[in-house]
Order: sequence, then structure tokens, then C-alpha cells
Amino acid sequence: MNCRDAEPLLHARLDNELDVASAITVDRHLSECRACAAQYTALVNLQKEIAARQPGYTLPPKLEGKLASRFTEKATLLAWLWSRPWQSAPTVVGVAASIVLLMIFLPRMRTAGSTNIIAAEILDNHLRALQPGHLFDVESSDQHTVKPWFQGKTDFSPPVPDLTNDGFILVGGRLEVIHQQPAAAIVYKRRQHVISLYASSSPGAEGKFVLQELGGYHLLHWSHGEMSYWAVSDVAAADLRDFASLIDGAAGNGR
Amino acid sequence: MRSAYNLARWLVRNGDDAEDIVQEAFLKAFKAIDSFRGGDARVWMLSIVRNTAMNFLRKRKPDVTMDLDQLEPSDRSPNPEQALLEQSRREQVRRAIARLEPEFREALVLREIEGLSYKEIAAVLEIPAGTVMSRLSRARQRLLNELAPAEEVRHELP
Repeated sequence: MNCRDAEPLLHARLDNELDVASAITVDRHLSECRACAAQYTALVNLQKEIAARQPGYTLPPKLEGKLASRFTEKATLLAWLWSRPWQSAPTVVGVAASIVLLMIFLPRMRTAGSTNIIAAEILDNHLRALQPGHLFDVESSDQHTVKPWFQGKTDFSPPVPDLTNDGFILVGGRLEVIHQQPAAAIVYKRRQHVISLYASSSPGAEGKFVLQELGGYHLLHWSHGEMSYWAVSDVAAADLRDFASLIDGAAGNGR
Repeated sequence: MRSAYNLARWLVRNGDDAEDIVQEAFLKAFKAIDSFRGGDARVWMLSIVRNTAMNFLRKRKPDVTMDLDQLEPSDRSPNPEQALLEQSRREQVRRAIARLEPEFREALVLREIEGLSYKEIAAVLEIPAGTVMSRLSRARQRLLNELAPAEEVRHELP
């Protein structure tokens, strides 16, 4: 890949719009080309700068009130139409209208919530780690080598269970910083697929496994006690779920 | 609703006009509700806002002023420390975005402020996703040129 091909793709990479193969190709170019790497850093900083300055405009409360009262009038009218069974056409339109307007008016979940920011960070980190020579700080299939390696490096002891019998092979670990928090990244393999497990000490809502898909990868997030976990891989969602519940079980038993 | 106002405001660069556009767009949306073919209601609404704003801009004379808060030059401030305040940096970012050509500005606002994906932006602007990428590329390059010097000045200050 040359710089001219890379330039527009830097933006797609920045916006997490690339498929995994292209992302890896771009990352490889970035590791080889200083000019593009500098440009990419500048773009990352620009994006952060814009996000930090919050240049967006907020809705004036007066306008919100005006729109809401108008909406209520219409909604009342629609409800009235709806109550008349012979008016079948307006009923359909009315119901559709209410649904659409509710979708617009109800406060939307912010798409760029902090969980999503962390998810993007995690995936970036995982992709970066897949580059040659980036996968481990400690390379071992022995849980008694990997687990103690984190002593003194993190203020928690990450779960490093032996899951060989379940088809997940331990291959090593490394220390990462995710969202300004030290995190233990434990690497397992499922056949040829690499799974990164990130453990960090930040309590969250317990018991819920939240699965999301990002650029062809699956990310699974859950919390247990004082710990938060993220698992990311290109394995099937079901496999990742199995993996997560095994890890969660092991964490419960202090392994 | 917040997204609708934000987009309108960036397109017409004036708060009062943006309010009119949002109201008009909501009325239009209501009348055209049966043309809604499913999919993302937000994308649908934003494209109505954009069309309304475009019609408005076509009618508006080109010399109409922008908002004061966007023209107020923070760097004219007599006190250089004043210029470092968060607020003025925000205004600086806002002015840099406001100065972009409309086609670059709308793509950038939808991406960086509204957090839309390329596919969603492509749907709102009715252009291919590849064009979204190249417009973002041009928009960001301009912002880098505009904003980078200020960044350097900031670091050089004692």
C-alpha cells in the first residue's frame, strides 16, 4: 500500500469504518510510513479535540416546548382517529406517525456513550496486538506462569484459568491501559482465532453479558464484583459467550 | 430533536433561522409520514431537516450575517491568557467548522458531532459512502490547517 492509497483510508480507519483486513493493511502501512503515521496521529488528536470542545448546539428550551405542545395536539388528534374503527387508512398512518414521532422525540440513547468508546478502544487494542510481536509481554500456556506475572503490575489478580479441556488454549498475557485504567490482557486461542480478555478493576452492573459487534468482531462485556471484563475476538458469538461464562466461573472461584 | 436543531444550526449558521427550519421540518415530517419507508427514523428526520435548510439557503441572500458568537474572534482578545480559556477554544473550533464549505461542513458535523456512520451520513446526504469518506478527508485537512497553528502557539506560551 502506498501513501496515496492510504490517505483516504486513514479516515475510515479513524472512524472504525474499515473491515478487519483493510484495517490491518492500513495499520501495517502506518507502522512502516512515518509521514502517514504522523498524519494519523494528527487526525486522532483533531477528533479528540472536537469531541472535547463539544461544539454542537443544544436545543433552545423554548423551541422544545413549542414542538412538544404541537406534538401533543397531533397525538390527541391521532388518538381520536384511532378510536374510530371505520377509519382504517388514517389508523395505519396514525399509528405509524405516532411510532415514528415517539422514536424521534424519546431521548435517544447516545450512540457514543462511554461503553462504546471503551469498546472501540478495546477493539483497536486487540487489532494492534494481532500485529507481529505485539501479542504478549509474557508468553506461556501455563496459568502458573501467566497469573503471577501480573503481580505488582496490577492491583488485582486477573483470572487465568486453564481452559484447555474446553477448547480454549492459554497463550500468554500482556499489560495494557484501557481508558486510563491498567488492564490485564489475557490471550487465549480457539483453533486459529485469537481471543483477548481484558480485566480491570472497575465495578459495574453485575451479571449481564452485553454482546456487541464492531467491524466484524464480537465484543462481550460483563462485570463481576470489583472487576470489569471485556472479551474480544472474531470467533462466533456463541463461542465467545461460552468463553466468557467459563472465565466468569473461574473468577468466582479465584483461579 | 437535538440532532435536528444542531444540524440546522450548522447548515444555516444562525440560531433563529435554525429554529424556524426545525419547526418547518417537523411539520413536513408529519405530513409526509406515510412516505417513511421504515429504517432509521433519525436518518429520515435529518434528511428532511437538511432539505428544508437547503431550500431556505437557496432563498436567502448570500450576504446574511452569521451568528455573532461565531464571528467573535477570540484571538482579538487583549489578554492572551483570556484566549486560552476553554470557551474561546470552543469558539475557535466552531468558527473553523463554520468556515468549511457546506458540503464538507455537513459531513463533518454528522460524523463528529452526531456520531453517524458513513452509511447513515450517505443516506442523509444522498451521496455514496466513498464520497462521505473523501469529504471528511478534505474537511479534516482544512481543520488541521486552521487549528494546528493555535495549538502550537498554546504550547509555546510560558
